[in-house]
Amino acid sequence: MAILKRTKQADDIFQKPYTKSTLIVQIVMTVVALLFLFPLFVILNYSFKTKKELYLTSPLKLPDSLQWANYEAALKKLNLTTTFTNTFIYTAVSVLILALLCGITAWAISRGKGKFFQFSFVYFVIGILIPFQALFLPIYTIGYKMHLTNTRYGIIFMYIATGISFGVFLMNSFVSTVPLELEEAARIDGCSVVKTYFIIVFPLLKPAFATLIIMQSFQIWNDYLLASLYVSKKGLKTLTVAIQSLFSAQVSDYTTAMAAIVVSVLPISILFLSLQKYFIKGMTVGAVKG
Amino acid sequence: MKKKTMQDKMNRQYILLILPGMVIFTIGVILPLLLAFRYSVTSWDGMSVEKEFVGISNYINLWKDANFRQAWWFTIKFTIANTIVQNVFALLFAVALDSGIKGQKIYRTILFIPCLVSAVIVGFVWLKLYSNVLPELNEVFGTNINFLLFGDGKTVLRGLVIANNWQWIGYWMLIYLAGLQSVPSDLYEAAKVDGANAVQRFFNVTIPMLAPAITICVVGITTGSLKVYDLLVSSTGGGPGRSSTSVIQMIYATAISGRQYGYGSAMSVTLVFILLLVAMIQVKGLKSKEVQS
Amino acid sequence: MKKKLLSAILCSAMAASVLTGCGGSSDDGGAASAPAEDSAPVAEEAAPAEETAAEEEAPAAAADGEEVTLTVLAGQSTTDAGIEDMIDEALAAKYPNITLEWECTGWDGEFHPKMQQYLQSGLPDIIIGKAQDVATYASQGVLGEIDSTYLDRGLDAARENVTFDGKTYGLVYNALYQGVYYNKAMFAENGWSVPTTQAELQAIVDDCNAKGIIPFASHMVDTWSIGNVTMQFMMNDVFNNTPDWGDKFRAGEVSFSEDEAAQTAYSYNKLIFDNTYPETFSTEQTDCDARMVLGEAAMKVSGSWSIQNFLDIDENFDFGIFPFPNQTGDSKLIFEPNIAIMTSAETEHQDAVNCVLDVLSGDKDLAVEILDFTKTASMLKDVAPTFPNPSQTDIDEYAAKGMIVDVTLGNNQLVWGGFQEENAADIAAYLQGDISFEDCLAASDARVSSSSVQ
Repeated sequence: MAILKRTKQADDIFQKPYTKSTLIVQIVMTVVALLFLFPLFVILNYSFKTKKELYLTSPLKLPDSLQWANYEAALKKLNLTTTFTNTFIYTAVSVLILALLCGITAWAISRGKGKFFQFSFVYFVIGILIPFQALFLPIYTIGYKMHLTNTRYGIIFMYIATGISFGVFLMNSFVSTVPLELEEAARIDGCSVVKTYFIIVFPLLKPAFATLIIMQSFQIWNDYLLASLYVSKKGLKTLTVAIQSLFSAQVSDYTTAMAAIVVSVLPISILFLSLQKYFIKGMTVGAVKG
Repeated sequence: MKKKTMQDKMNRQYILLILPGMVIFTIGVILPLLLAFRYSVTSWDGMSVEKEFVGISNYINLWKDANFRQAWWFTIKFTIANTIVQNVFALLFAVALDSGIKGQKIYRTILFIPCLVSAVIVGFVWLKLYSNVLPELNEVFGTNINFLLFGDGKTVLRGLVIANNWQWIGYWMLIYLAGLQSVPSDLYEAAKVDGANAVQRFFNVTIPMLAPAITICVVGITTGSLKVYDLLVSSTGGGPGRSSTSVIQMIYATAISGRQYGYGSAMSVTLVFILLLVAMIQVKGLKSKEVQS
Repeated sequence: MKKKLLSAILCSAMAASVLTGCGGSSDDGGAASAPAEDSAPVAEEAAPAEETAAEEEAPAAAADGEEVTLTVLAGQSTTDAGIEDMIDEALAAKYPNITLEWECTGWDGEFHPKMQQYLQSGLPDIIIGKAQDVATYASQGVLGEIDSTYLDRGLDAARENVTFDGKTYGLVYNALYQGVYYNKAMFAENGWSVPTTQAELQAIVDDCNAKGIIPFASHMVDTWSIGNVTMQFMMNDVFNNTPDWGDKFRAGEVSFSEDEAAQTAYSYNKLIFDNTYPETFSTEQTDCDARMVLGEAAMKVSGSWSIQNFLDIDENFDFGIFPFPNQTGDSKLIFEPNIAIMTSAETEHQDAVNCVLDVLSGDKDLAVEILDFTKTASMLKDVAPTFPNPSQTDIDEYAAKGMIVDVTLGNNQLVWGGFQEENAADIAAYLQGDISFEDCLAASDARVSSSSVQ
């Protein structure tokens, strides 16, 4: 079981020869990776077929010629530039505000002493558990009464409100790792509470912010429910909503639907691949807080 | 005395810092919940203006509702299966990738990509896989494996768990992988010196050091699975029969198509309470383990 | 050829202006792109429409060129997706100042949640749903009455089930036919004739089984399909004799557990299930239609929504339709008014909404285009689709004999959402062996309070 052998740099390994067990692991993981790739291959394969090929030939057979027409139809229906930009804006703005807000809230909760703060923590954490699908009508009613529906700030507001729970939960565990002595020293130097946070604590929490931002980005990027409730107007739609409506309408034409899946997954995949390093770093901190 | 007033003063400032978040959270999340609670004591149909007060009769009816019980039973089975399978495999794959095999990044990426696809699509794709694509493999290899997992109440859970795991294992694996890579290697050296073998090192060093990651993953997977909905809509639609109807799906069908918003809201409120209970127990249990280690 | 077409158009345009007497100024978008052979009647029909529309102020909005954007919520069935582009185009030709902002959803999925949502905040200007939705939402008092100018362009039969207290809230646009689609070549080859009784149907099923042919194609992964065929069975075995069965059911006079006819209707599902391929619970509609076309099964209980798939896969597929035989051997072919256009009672742009209704009810080219695309029958006067429909001769035959029945009756007696839909899930559970037939019937009985909109 050399599995547990520790190495500092993964790159060192490339110089090392296989042992029996690493070879087995390598083979097993290759099989696993192929299994994981198989559904993706099927999507890609279907997306290039004609409707007739879909029914008349084996699903495993490659298409006779690549049907780019499916992609043209999908692109037109998805309105990709607008929907992609919208989704990107909602996600980016929401996670940045969330990071700021959750950091300071979690810190204040953990530093304050008294019942109120204990209560606050539980109060926030309840939100993680709320099944929003089941509350869609009240969520809409309240949003509508407050003029939040069909506005960009409305949907961002909702993403913050629903994301804050997990954010506070996550940040809370990081905040406890910040040494109190530093804060006390700052306070003796005459720093106010807010200043203490921004000068002392904030920089120390940077890695935690990375984790928070990454995990929330996924949530918000893939969100369907809130987006469909709050931004149903054409110019404000998100990618997920667009693909969903294309999807529910085009199930009988699923070569186009499959092309749409590829189109919608491609940008975020490229984004992930190019930022992978930071993703992993962010995740690392998340999993190993003190 | 002076110290106390100092702390009071600070507390007030802390409260001020908490308030903005609390206001946003209350408006966006707690108010709808309260509103749902209010609906749950009415016989509102979700459309008309009047909402007749019926007391707790909706909650009483819930206990007699066999379909609601069945939905819970499915959701619980789905959650338990997911929590176990997803955690075990995510951890196993993470350990495997961390064992010094070549091309770690490539595997990591491949396993991760499915979670970029939205659950509705995952459901649809797996429906196609089970019913059209995989049976074709039987033809190719001359085997006779039953791939029609969504077509029978006995296998539908298995099929859904596989689909769900395909989507999420990579995500949780990444968290475990990150955890593993930050375990200081001298701990392993020390354990080795103490004469611990690989398995012992895994259980005595790796697992305790991964405790925070385990907490995140277990709570994340459990609460996520209890809320399963998107995956089902486009795959089994809750069928065959009612064998894969989840609680949320049932709530949706009752409140919207069934025009019983009040009754559906009672289901929602019940679900929130149970979720709360489960998460509290889990966090308490896992946290106490973390402290011990 | 081109010249001929052009002259025909010119003639018809002239005919139009003569008839209306309002000069050549009217932009007769309808006739301009019509095929030569039917452009003349189109022009004739379109002309009075223009006239009445002019009285109606509707074009006033067009005249002063004020830009109006109307919101539209469309709950579409699988075959409807894409008609929004056709409507946009036709509207742009006649009323370029009106823009429609579409929100297209699946009727089966997001449409009703969206409606509930908008009942809280105000409806979109125009709602496109199914005819059966009119009853649901009209009872909430949120739908606007449709002007008779536009209703008069539709068939009278279309109005019946969307009219409440003398007010009509929906413009019914097209209709579906439902019954058993059968592979004509296969029927001819095996010497089967169209069955009218259960015994005859059983004989075909037996012959199929003896010859190794799958009698029925089916797709039970779609619970809606089970619900749909069950209503077909109910129409001919229950509502045929007792049109107010739903009312009696709510009054406690009849029940599924005790009524033999209702039980028979439910049990036909078992007949299908026992005589279809084993993977029916893994097969969805498109695959099922494909198997039918590929000759893997002889019959399929379905509706017009399958035609689009049939012809997509093989444009030469020859099929017919007959009503699923009932116990008494007098089954009628089922017809269902489908797309229904509703308007908001509170719209701020009634004129513009009327312009849209004008285009929808008056533009016959648009109508033909939509009907051909969705493979449905027309509910507008003097409009007929031109797509090749092998089952049309059968439909005409049943229509001529008066053996056609509107399923809206059944859908109003026992509603779809919350009742039929849920019962279908029980029937699926019964077919899967999860519950007994008695439990399945009892479950439907227990749901009695959800069986009506009120």
